[in-house]
Amino acid sequence: MKVDNSLPLEYSTEENNLKILGFWIFLGAEIMLFATLFAAYFTLENRIGNGPSGAEIFEITPVLVETFLLLSSSFTIGLAIHAMRLGKKKAMMTFFSITLLLGAGFLGFEIYEFIHYVHVGATLQTSAFTAALLTTLGTHGLHVTLGLFWGLFILMQIKKRGLTPETANKSFIFSLYWHFLDIVWIFIFSFIYLKGMM
Amino acid sequence: MKELFPLKQVMGFVFSLVLTAVALLVYFTDMPFAVGMTILLITAFIQAGLQLIVFMHAGETNDKNSIYTNVYYGLLIALITVFGTLLILVWDM
Repeated sequence: MKVDNSLPLEYSTEENNLKILGFWIFLGAEIMLFATLFAAYFTLENRIGNGPSGAEIFEITPVLVETFLLLSSSFTIGLAIHAMRLGKKKAMMTFFSITLLLGAGFLGFEIYEFIHYVHVGATLQTSAFTAALLTTLGTHGLHVTLGLFWGLFILMQIKKRGLTPETANKSFIFSLYWHFLDIVWIFIFSFIYLKGMM
Repeated sequence: MKELFPLKQVMGFVFSLVLTAVALLVYFTDMPFAVGMTILLITAFIQAGLQLIVFMHAGETNDKNSIYTNVYYGLLIALITVFGTLLILVWDM
């Protein structure tokens, strides 16, 4: 395997380069997936039937906390990649762990939010609005959940094998995924919550 | 310690918090719907671009052109999907 030492570890082989490009193409498909969910949500958001409307069930505090946690975790995974490029394994693992903890915090608040929705009578079957809302939020939440486990396994590999072209490549790709989820959340925050409460 | 916090990323984080605060004006102040939506569209897309360039290092390798082409294509289809749906099903045109 040809290793180019002038490049950061995660780009150092041809295979690594292709994996990163391939992941960007996957993210392109993810953009379209979330676009269809947003399209469905915008179409159905006023079809509330006998159920509650967005303005009635959205709570600003948990949404703000979730936004802050996810924005911070996007920052710390960026710092983890930066530390990785400096070859600082310990600092990298610390930032990586903080990222996963913030992600877990986000998920905790989102679970609370879902319990709150069911509690006030907004379930998946209540109306077209709640179905579209919970599907969109749920798809994002599912991505975060998957990311938590994925990240945890990468972290364990780094602990065991150190920073190699393989583990560095996996970490970098994970960071792309995590930043992408943050971008999706920004759109959920702006066009579902804030628009709904405006 | 200082080398672990590159200025570019710290500024990126601060800027993303500022953008979030600006978006929150929509909630905390009374404004017409159109003005609010304009603010949200601007802050959300700047925020997305910020993540893409500062944190995702989109432009740093030889694959830069393929990566941007792919992202723009994804974005184009996303916008056509969302606005096409709105046009037909909500705005009734």
